[in-house]
Amino acid sequence: MITRRPVGICFGLWILLFYLFLYITIIVLVLSSFSSSSSGRLGDWSLRWYQELFDSPEIWQALKNSLVVAFSSVMLSLLMGMALVVTSMRTYFDKVAFLFYGGLAVPEIVMAVGLLSSFYFFSVPLGLTTLIAGHTLIGLGYVVPMLHARASELDYRLTEASLDLGATQTQTFFNVTLPLLWPAMVGAALLVFIISFDDFLVAFFCAGATEQTLPLYIFSLIRMGSAPVINALSTLLLLVSSLLVILFSSLRVRKLGVMK
Amino acid sequence: MDVKKVFFEQLSFFISVPALIWQFFFLYFPLAFIVYLSFVSSDSADAGFTLAHYASFLSWPYIAIVARSFGLAFVNATVSLCLAYPVAYFLALHMKRWKHIFLFLMILPFWTSLLVQVYAWFFVLEPYGVVNTVLLSIGIISEPLQLLNSIYAVFLGMVYCYVPFMVVPLYSSLENLDARLLEASADLGASAVETFRRITLPLSLPGIRTGFFLVFIPSFGEFVIPALLGGGRRMYVGTLISHYFLVLQDSFTGSAFTVLVGVILLLSVFLTYYLLRISIMFLSGGMSE
Repeated sequence: MITRRPVGICFGLWILLFYLFLYITIIVLVLSSFSSSSSGRLGDWSLRWYQELFDSPEIWQALKNSLVVAFSSVMLSLLMGMALVVTSMRTYFDKVAFLFYGGLAVPEIVMAVGLLSSFYFFSVPLGLTTLIAGHTLIGLGYVVPMLHARASELDYRLTEASLDLGATQTQTFFNVTLPLLWPAMVGAALLVFIISFDDFLVAFFCAGATEQTLPLYIFSLIRMGSAPVINALSTLLLLVSSLLVILFSSLRVRKLGVMK
Repeated sequence: MDVKKVFFEQLSFFISVPALIWQFFFLYFPLAFIVYLSFVSSDSADAGFTLAHYASFLSWPYIAIVARSFGLAFVNATVSLCLAYPVAYFLALHMKRWKHIFLFLMILPFWTSLLVQVYAWFFVLEPYGVVNTVLLSIGIISEPLQLLNSIYAVFLGMVYCYVPFMVVPLYSSLENLDARLLEASADLGASAVETFRRITLPLSLPGIRTGFFLVFIPSFGEFVIPALLGGGRRMYVGTLISHYFLVLQDSFTGSAFTVLVGVILLLSVFLTYYLLRISIMFLSGGMSE
């Protein structure tokens, strides 16, 4: 297909502007994180905000909480999702699959409000535990469809062959099923981790007043007014999440390579 | 042998069940509970059925809030669609060499914190931020514009945060398009515009739908962007819900409003589903699916 020149230039310009729009905020953030002025104006380059960032105990406490919540929800949703998909795949999975797509149609705020009222009703004290419960729920909504999609691509005869050749159920699971599901598990785990780590809304409703996660802390800083420490923090977070994206996409590429 | 088989079947059932229990306990029970709360009297002496919580929403301020959020979500989804379609189209059908890099750059902001992205707009929109500096130096305006704390800032923030959710489904539906159909159409004498209108556009309808809902549904109840960029002067659906639950601590009226919003959302999703199909059919000249 040949694109005529003026049309091609229009497309190119459109895409350029689109990406500029997507990246303008990121460029501004990264640049002002190195500026010593507190209003975000550029000039006077310094590492002052990074210094302040590393000296702030609240940020490290919030980061620790966020990591604890993210790791726990990844582990819980992965374990439960895995157990459901692997054991019910050949029996009743199709009958209950719709339950896991419901979460996508419900806006997050409705979910958060529902959780808050139920916790309140059963007088469950709000804290990191309730937050983990909420994030595990969100995680299941991603883990189950992703694992199921991968599992239904697999050749069931492989497990049958393994059982026929005398392997036990457990051996078959660890030597055949698990290695085949591995790429989907890593992908789902990374996705759930990032979602949980970045989630503000469910944390805002379900974490209570005493525990702070990183997004909650950032929100309170923004609410209080200008807080240039956030620029430094965001730049570092951006670096970490781009590393994660690279990891994720290289895994995807390798998986595709195997399938071809 | 038989006992062992039965045992394994029972065991695998018990292993599979926690995920379902979790889903019921933390998603479907809370949803049902909200519906229950919205119909029950807040007076603890008689917890009877009542519609009183809903009655208050028939007044103008509430209708205005719902209409504002609905309009914002709808315009956001439509504008995102218009912005994203050319990008997804070009990436999926015409770009060869740099495709992976462009896709990577598309997903990257997707994975950064929403709060941080919203916060960055402060620097762009503030009185001496990027936009005002550029406009001032070109000479279009003589004094800085008040861009923050307005519905325009909220709208801009929403488009910015949600547009990648539009590109990804559009890209994957266009990517799966059978290129032979386009070649056949060109061979049979259709112009590029006609091929797009009659082949590409109708075949990308599933992607358009998915993208539209991925943008529309979360932006209808969006809380963070209006709370930060809207300046708190105007209420939106998301900010009002959180106001009921966290500030007023009135779960009854709050639940009623949440249920109402959920119903409106559901109805508009159904309506948009057919609306999108009809408008695409109209654009493509009445071709049936």
